[in-house]
Amino acid sequence: MVPLENYLVLSGIIFSLGVYGVLARRNAVLVLMSIELMLNAVSLNFVAFAAYLDPDLITGVIVAIFVIAVAAAEVGLALAIVIRLFRNRSTANVDEAATLRW
Amino acid sequence: MGAEEAWILAAVPAITFLVLAATGRYLPRQGDFIGILAAGAIFVLFFVVLADFLDLGEAAWPIVNNIAWTEIGEFELRMGILVDPITIVMLAVITTVAFMVNVFSVGYMKGEPRYWWYFAMLQLFVASMLLLVVADNLLLLYISWELVGLSSFVLIGHYWERRSAVEAAKKAFITTRVGDVGLLIGIILLWEATGTFNILEIIEAVEAGAVGEVRLFVTMMFIFLGAMGKSAQVPFHVWLPDAMEGPTPVSALIHAATMVVAGVYLVARLLPVFEVAEGALLVVTFVGLITALFSGVVAFAQTDIKKVLAYSTISQLGFMFVALGTGLVGVGMFHLFTHAFFKALLFLGAGSVIIGSHHHQEMGQLGGLWRKMPITAMTFLIGSLALAGLFPLAGFWSKDEILHAVDSHRGAWAYVLISVAAIMTAFYTTRLFIRTFLGQPQDAEIHSHTRETGPIMTLPLVFLAILSIIAGLVVFNGVGDAIGFPGGFPEFVFLHEPERFHVDWGLVGFSSALFVIGTFGAAWIYWRGRLDRATAAARWQPQLSEMVQRKFYFDDLYQFAIDRGVLGLSYLVSWFDRFAVNDTGVDGSANMTRYAGFVLKHVQTGRVPNYAMAIAVGVVALTLITLAVRN
Repeated sequence: MVPLENYLVLSGIIFSLGVYGVLARRNAVLVLMSIELMLNAVSLNFVAFAAYLDPDLITGVIVAIFVIAVAAAEVGLALAIVIRLFRNRSTANVDEAATLRW
Repeated sequence: MGAEEAWILAAVPAITFLVLAATGRYLPRQGDFIGILAAGAIFVLFFVVLADFLDLGEAAWPIVNNIAWTEIGEFELRMGILVDPITIVMLAVITTVAFMVNVFSVGYMKGEPRYWWYFAMLQLFVASMLLLVVADNLLLLYISWELVGLSSFVLIGHYWERRSAVEAAKKAFITTRVGDVGLLIGIILLWEATGTFNILEIIEAVEAGAVGEVRLFVTMMFIFLGAMGKSAQVPFHVWLPDAMEGPTPVSALIHAATMVVAGVYLVARLLPVFEVAEGALLVVTFVGLITALFSGVVAFAQTDIKKVLAYSTISQLGFMFVALGTGLVGVGMFHLFTHAFFKALLFLGAGSVIIGSHHHQEMGQLGGLWRKMPITAMTFLIGSLALAGLFPLAGFWSKDEILHAVDSHRGAWAYVLISVAAIMTAFYTTRLFIRTFLGQPQDAEIHSHTRETGPIMTLPLVFLAILSIIAGLVVFNGVGDAIGFPGGFPEFVFLHEPERFHVDWGLVGFSSALFVIGTFGAAWIYWRGRLDRATAAARWQPQLSEMVQRKFYFDDLYQFAIDRGVLGLSYLVSWFDRFAVNDTGVDGSANMTRYAGFVLKHVQTGRVPNYAMAIAVGVVALTLITLAVRN
């Protein structure tokens, strides 16, 4: 059996990649993808813990399924926003969306 | 209705007040007849109470009737009435004078503004005073004490279009309030020490030694402060002469039956407690003596009829406190009793002069009214002689009793001083009478218009004059029995031992000598309205004369204290409020927020990556902090 640490390290790496993507990327679609990475890292964590603590229980797996469902909804919404942004500004660069202020 | 329902006496005028205040202005004659009816009713009801009180007999005294008012934890507050001989004397005085004043007011206040309101307030005044004297606990007493203060405030300021009246009302209210705070503190201290407001229980507890000596003395001084404020004792006397701004019948009521005698009543009521408090009675005597002498001197220099009478009242209240200070409650109450009648008579007489001469009350403008106003002059003469202490008028007997009490209970020094005060009384009273009614008219114009007032005003004068002649005779056993003070006054009102009254002819001679000195001294100086001897005396001692004319600078001193002390402090406080509280605190914090917002708004870039970065940094920072704290 693969030890728990391996999953956790992998999850951590994926999460960090996601954070890096969100902070460094300028393209809204890429930012969205990075967010998905972070969500997946969390899901991975849930599943790993669930299997490790009690293989018979499927609570962690169910949470992971919920996360996937929420992520799908979120992507649906976010992509709509990105399309609106592109229509208005002719770009998907998040730096251009700078009117969210005083 | 019997003595146990004596509260009805207070309830009748209280209800009348409500009726008159609500409907008075729409009633025919503005409802003055209702006021008179109510005053007449309590005058009659008093005799019902008195008869029942005497029927119940000495064994049943004091009559107590109270109900549970409220319960706070373990403490049960009972409110009710207490009727004993002291109460009966007060009720007699209040109901009689109130009735006379109500009748007189119909003539005096005719055509004056707010006629109905005047009568309504008169009822409230009487109601609160009656409640005060039947109260069986200090809390109820304090409530009515304040009600008396309130109604006097309204009545003194009745002509509120006149600035001086407003100032006088304010002065009376604030000056007595200083004393009232002392009274409230005293009541609280007594309650803390004995656990009750009930007067009889307090007396019992204190006599059993429930309160430490020093503490009791301090407490009684606080209570005496309240009495001094209400009874206008030096140095709280300043409000009373100014209270002359009110309608004259109100002055009669204030000076004779209500308000100022409340302080005397309070001390008389709590006299057993004062006795236990070592030295407290000496203070009472002292304050009374100083007041009696001080205001006697000031009365020499007053030229306004009502002001002379005002200082005379202060002086006579001093006499009462001197009497109470000897520990003989009967003597003090006796002087209160007789004084009420002749002082009410004198004030109503002054009111009659004011109406008769069409609103002139300066002695310098009057004179020679004897022929124009015979009834007023005659009754005023009787009142003056009673006040001065002519044998055998009312004032003579009570002053005699005071002299006797001081002689037997205080040293020779007090006896000498009170004798001097008695001479002064005779002096200023004679001066007042001569300058107003005798001699040549000072102002022919005013004199020619002066008329005797109608029967509605002269009848109360005659009635009170009769009382001024005979009221003093109640000291005698037979007279007292007949009128309702069994055994005569000294055996009716007493604290420990009843004392049968004996005529001491030596004292009568001495007291009459004092009367003669004062009266003839004044007559020699002012006879036929001449002023040259008085002016010569003033020129001989200009500084002293100036000092007396300025009333020993009390008003100036208080004005100075208010200007420099109170206003100075107020200036500091207002400065603190304006700059520290408002500009720095309220406006300052608002400005600070605004400025902070102005600076910090640049943090909001509107760029999504910046926010994301902030979130990330925040999460990392929080994580690190949590770890650091955990370990």
